[in-house]
Amino acid sequence: MSIVGLLPHLVNGLALGLLFALLALGFMLILGLMEQINLAHGSLFALGAYFAHAIATPRLPLPPDMLQVWAQVPLGWRFTAAMFLAPVLVAPFGVILERLMRRTYGRDPLYGLLLTFGAAMVIEELIRIAWGTRDYMLPVPRGISGGFLMLDLIWSTYRFWAAGFAVIAMAVVWLVIERTRFGALVKAGAHDSEIVQALGHNLEKLRVWVFVLGTVMAAVAGVILAPIWGIRPHMGVDAVIPAFVIIVLGGVGSFWGAVLGGLLVGMVVGLSGAYASEWSMLSMYLLLILIVTFRSRGLFGKKSVLEA
Amino acid sequence: MALFEAHQLHLRFGDRVVLEDVSLAFEAGRLSGIMGPNGAGKTTCFNVLTGRYRPDRGRVMFDGADITGRSPQAIARLGIARSFQLMNLFDEFTVFENVAIALPQTRRRGADPIGQAYGDATVVEEAHELLDTVGLGARADHIAKALPYGERRALEIAVALASRPKLLFLDEPTAGLGSDGRARLAELVRRLKGQVTLVVIEHDMEFLFSLADTISVIHWGQVIARGSPDELRTNPWVKNSNLGKLA
Amino acid sequence: MRTGRTVPTLTPAMIAIWLAFATVPLWIEKVGLYQYLGVEILIFATYALAYNLVLGHSGLPSFGHGAFFGLGAYGFGLAQLNLVPDLWFCLAAAVVVASVGGALVAAFISHRRGIYYSLLTIAFGQVFWFIAIKSHAITGGEDGLLKIARLPARFGVATFDLTHNISLFYFVLAIFVVVSLLLWRLVHSPFGRILKAIKQNETRARFVGYDVWRFKAAVLVLSAGLSGLAGGLFAMAQSSAFPDVMSLHYSGYIVMMTLVGGGLVTFWGPVLGAIVFLLARDVIGAVTTGWMLWFGLLFVALVIHKPEGLGGMFIRPARPAPADAKK
Repeated sequence: MSIVGLLPHLVNGLALGLLFALLALGFMLILGLMEQINLAHGSLFALGAYFAHAIATPRLPLPPDMLQVWAQVPLGWRFTAAMFLAPVLVAPFGVILERLMRRTYGRDPLYGLLLTFGAAMVIEELIRIAWGTRDYMLPVPRGISGGFLMLDLIWSTYRFWAAGFAVIAMAVVWLVIERTRFGALVKAGAHDSEIVQALGHNLEKLRVWVFVLGTVMAAVAGVILAPIWGIRPHMGVDAVIPAFVIIVLGGVGSFWGAVLGGLLVGMVVGLSGAYASEWSMLSMYLLLILIVTFRSRGLFGKKSVLEA
Repeated sequence: MALFEAHQLHLRFGDRVVLEDVSLAFEAGRLSGIMGPNGAGKTTCFNVLTGRYRPDRGRVMFDGADITGRSPQAIARLGIARSFQLMNLFDEFTVFENVAIALPQTRRRGADPIGQAYGDATVVEEAHELLDTVGLGARADHIAKALPYGERRALEIAVALASRPKLLFLDEPTAGLGSDGRARLAELVRRLKGQVTLVVIEHDMEFLFSLADTISVIHWGQVIARGSPDELRTNPWVKNSNLGKLA
Repeated sequence: MRTGRTVPTLTPAMIAIWLAFATVPLWIEKVGLYQYLGVEILIFATYALAYNLVLGHSGLPSFGHGAFFGLGAYGFGLAQLNLVPDLWFCLAAAVVVASVGGALVAAFISHRRGIYYSLLTIAFGQVFWFIAIKSHAITGGEDGLLKIARLPARFGVATFDLTHNISLFYFVLAIFVVVSLLLWRLVHSPFGRILKAIKQNETRARFVGYDVWRFKAAVLVLSAGLSGLAGGLFAMAQSSAFPDVMSLHYSGYIVMMTLVGGGLVTFWGPVLGAIVFLLARDVIGAVTTGWMLWFGLLFVALVIHKPEGLGGMFIRPARPAPADAKK
């Protein structure tokens, strides 16, 4: 296959990689800053997608006449509203989860993993009860949907928009962590909880906020990815696995490791898709096994709780 | 040739040099001491000698064989045992089982998935002998986690002795012990002296000076002095450093 | 006190459990359940005991054990459909295929522990699951491998037909008896105690001379092989093999069963866990559609409040505290 033939796969891989990075980032925040594996990350991602669908299509539990009014609003506005509102609606689930996880702090991180696995099962089941098992599609406003022709190839417009949204969301997270007082505190707390307490800050509150941030990231990724991947009950598990692959591969606790890991996974999945589309998702695991065999802490990893 | 020799060990962590040109020799049947202030590289040195870290340069020789960079388990099987500064026991096992699992008889049967773990009468006998040696005979059936501090130290030594070592390294055996415990431990070490070659890291000068045949002083990752306790008392290096005051 | 320290090979609890299981076909229908459930419980109890060899007895939190169970199921089915339709041969194939899978995984991960061990077993589990789904030509893909027969059990002169659930139940019970006996012995053997020592303190185990890597690799292979045996039985019971037993969900379920039952503190905990899990599925499932919602909540509550599981509630620690513990 020539370079030109590969180009669309490369570009798609890059876009996919940015989306993967976004997906992994919330997972990384909670793992890197709180030393907790949140296997329910994918379920929060799924909730984001379902809530977005409810807001945009619209299927909200509102009085019929209000719903009627909302349905008249152009899809562009409803989609935008979904993107901002759905994460807010998911946030309380993160708060509840953090509340439950508190009992596992300071214990073997395995308990956190088990607890969140249980929580993932519960959320997945709640989704089945509320929405049934059928697939949904999140409609995309006309301005950013459809395709366009470039270099004699048809490109999906929304993929580019989604990648753009992902970059914006990641930039916001980076700013929050690197350029705000909150971020500085959170990073200090990750290394030494006594420092934070000595500064007179409430560690418990800080942890809730970190968890909320991670949850909101998951939900945002859910909204952005829903039009591409579709919405179904087990999408959570489908999503959390790449997220953890990316984190282990990029190295625990590293922002840029997550971004690079996401891009790498996206490219590998995209490129292997060019040769064997059926098997492209497998390449991700093989990449992980390869990298971790030679660099046991991933690309940018530092010594972490994972090695306990 | 000494039983154990280290030649020109170098080790750095990142850009920090932890060991620089460290050469040590421990004679069979003697008690050799390593001392130095906190953070001088004593424990790191220990970790290199016992196979936990691999030196960047230099060689470690035991009984005429080069053991540089071998795994801890390989080194242990050659007859080198160690205790740990932070106590390192099988916490959920009984005192008896901590020792029994470390006996060569148990180790040789490690691939046996069906037989009785400690059905062998010699295992029981020897484990109890070792426990008597360190004064834990009456504690055999207690869970290790529940032991008081001083007894955990003693158990730590019993576990190290269980592998029938030719050479036993003790990493800060008195750390955290009161004067009572210290006396009892000195007593135990004195009894072991002669039965097994001992190397003891310590910053308690009194303890080491009363027991050791030779002492090496490590500071800033280097051996700055060595000799018998009497020689060291007059050594200007030792006198001028903080260590001298204690001596 | 200075006599040999031996653990009996047969214990009253063990015999009681076996006998209790033996009575199940007599009453299970009278309480509104069905014979096949007994078969399923025994298979998963065997699987959970095999799994607990790594989790509870060696402290290796594998989260991808479904792969080995699934490999066993496919191994059994493929051996029967393509090679020799003989029960013993096919069960052996299940064990061998799963052990080989286990050895492959072990080669990559045996220097790991803790969460990294979990994460890498998830990755390997996904690899096997993915291959099972995509290799249509071999595994039948998502449609599964169908038409697996319940082969008759030949013991020299006598032959037992296993097409009936009751006869299959007793066959599986016989295997359960053998496996649980073997595992009981193994846990109290030098090998088993060394695993427990490694679980508590890997560094110390190394410094008393144990090649930790080999023990960790060996136990994973062994556990994988026995999980494969359970998988083979499951393929036979179901008359088919599907990829979903290899998914992350199912790998998680076996962890749930083992923990809920108390595998971390008692040998028989995983058996209790398998019973509770499958009964909950059927009983809660009969009342509501979302049984996993309730079981998941129970599980979350247990992890928070009682990590030692149900078994920990009414079984005392194996070794009673000595009389002179506190002087």
